Amino acid sequence: MISMFKAELLKLRRRRVAVAVIAAALAFAAVATIAVFLSATQAGAPGSQRGATVESLGEAGGATEAFSIGVSFVGILVLVLFIANIAGEFSQGTFRTLLMRQPRRIGLLAGKMLALLTFAAVVLALAEILTVAASAAMAPTQDIPTGSWFGVDGLGAAAGDYASALVGVAAWATLGMALAIFVRSIPVALGIGIVWSGPFEHLTQDAWTAASQWFPGLLLEALAAGGTADVSTTRALTLVGLYVAAAAIASAIVFARRDITA
Amino acid sequence: MNTATAPGGVRMTRPTAPDPPSAVCLRGLTKSYGDRVAVDSLTIDVPAGVVAGFVGPNGAGKTTTMAMLLGVVTPTAGDGTVLGEPLDDPESYLGRVGALIEGPAFYPALTGARNLAVLATAAGHDPAQIPGLLELVGLQARGDDRVRGYSFGMKQRLGIAAALLGDPRLLILDEPINGLDPAGVHEMRGLIGRLASGERTVLVSSHVLTELEQVCDWLIVIDGGRLLFQGPAAELMDRSGSRLVVAPEHPGDLDRLRGLLFAAGHDSQPGEDHLQIAVDGADPRGLAAAVNRAASSGGIVLAELRIARTSLEDRYLTMMNGGDR
Repeated sequence: MISMFKAELLKLRRRRVAVAVIAAALAFAAVATIAVFLSATQAGAPGSQRGATVESLGEAGGATEAFSIGVSFVGILVLVLFIANIAGEFSQGTFRTLLMRQPRRIGLLAGKMLALLTFAAVVLALAEILTVAASAAMAPTQDIPTGSWFGVDGLGAAAGDYASALVGVAAWATLGMALAIFVRSIPVALGIGIVWSGPFEHLTQDAWTAASQWFPGLLLEALAAGGTADVSTTRALTLVGLYVAAAAIASAIVFARRDITA
Repeated sequence: MNTATAPGGVRMTRPTAPDPPSAVCLRGLTKSYGDRVAVDSLTIDVPAGVVAGFVGPNGAGKTTTMAMLLGVVTPTAGDGTVLGEPLDDPESYLGRVGALIEGPAFYPALTGARNLAVLATAAGHDPAQIPGLLELVGLQARGDDRVRGYSFGMKQRLGIAAALLGDPRLLILDEPINGLDPAGVHEMRGLIGRLASGERTVLVSSHVLTELEQVCDWLIVIDGGRLLFQGPAAELMDRSGSRLVVAPEHPGDLDRLRGLLFAAGHDSQPGEDHLQIAVDGADPRGLAAAVNRAASSGGIVLAELRIARTSLEDRYLTMMNGGDR
């Protein structure tokens, strides 16, 4: 697992990847901060319960509120990236090449996922730092006080937002990995993943309100929002954990037992 | 070496005592996909240190067999050993095996050298060997280019370099000549010859039989997943496929020469101006001497006396058509 972890990091440790990641993190920080700060309303105003308020932005967690809200929209992007990465290993034949060198399949898969999630953790940290910087620059223009942002409570809120984002990314990543391993085709896996987590879950939710308490994509949305009126954070975290565990175990079994014929 | 006929009329050659260690030893290896049997009770031995050609038409089961050797496909039945380790424990031997099967597969966005570094790291090999391997396969000047820009031949050579990571004792190459231009074929043939030096065993599959004829000293022929022949390549070509071509100085002596040869116990087939005698497992040089003596005893001067070897291609096609199994 450790050797595969190092090998996967070797693929990611490139100048082009670094430039792309920094550019994406900068763009994320800029868009998320501008969108959140410009759309912030006074508490109690119409629509204030759906996004950040001027008051919440001035509190201890205000520095990372744009990050937290922005990350809640990248779930499907994470799903897409992990499907493309894992299913791409099948379609390119590179899983075959790797397995001829590293036959411990579960270790190979675990090392690869650990490396990708480590990379995602670094990207998230960078995005959070840049978002805090952008928020600090943006706050004075909206008359938002920043005095409580950098105290102990502020750092605690930042750590909590980061952990929450990481849990969400890890969950989407695991679901993407499982889908890629089951289907082994990038277009088919992407089609299933996007249609399920996008239109299918939300249209079903319109017809069956309890869907938000059971469907993984909706539960992840609830988790990213810190709980909703329908789904508590505890329920969302518990069910997401069960989905992720089931997906990880099932994909490990399938990956370990199935012939690699591509 | 001695020969034996296995059930089903398969001609097999087994090493005589003391047996050289087998690099690959398979017993009844079978792979089925539903009702379709891709590999059917395959029993083969590849002696250590040989270049073994694995021959068969497309769909014969060559790649599936190789994939089972490499642990990426699980056999339905049968067992065996690879480098003395059990086939069902690929972890115990894959560190000493290098392979290129089903074409070269690399990350197109990475350079050739970085691709090799990824594989070396995953396998726990020393990446310091990469420049030497790139030089061996003639890619030292392109190692820092992304694989996306490589030609197919360059990818094949990079695949060979990847297979050589860790200096493997057994090298398994699936159709390495496939898709190469004539210059590439020539180059690859030379490379395979160089790779076979020392104690390394090379198992190379191809349906381009004339190429294997030049590099292999051991042959395994399969069709429909079943073994047709295994043994030294020279044996396959010699056995009943070689013939003696005899031509008298004067074509008018042809019938008399044929009579002399018949009297000496050698049946011949007449051609326009020559006779052909099947070697049929006899010592070709001894047969030629006997023919020369018979002609000389009748006062006939021979203008031509040579052994015509049947090409591997001819022998292979004969076997594929159901003859001489």
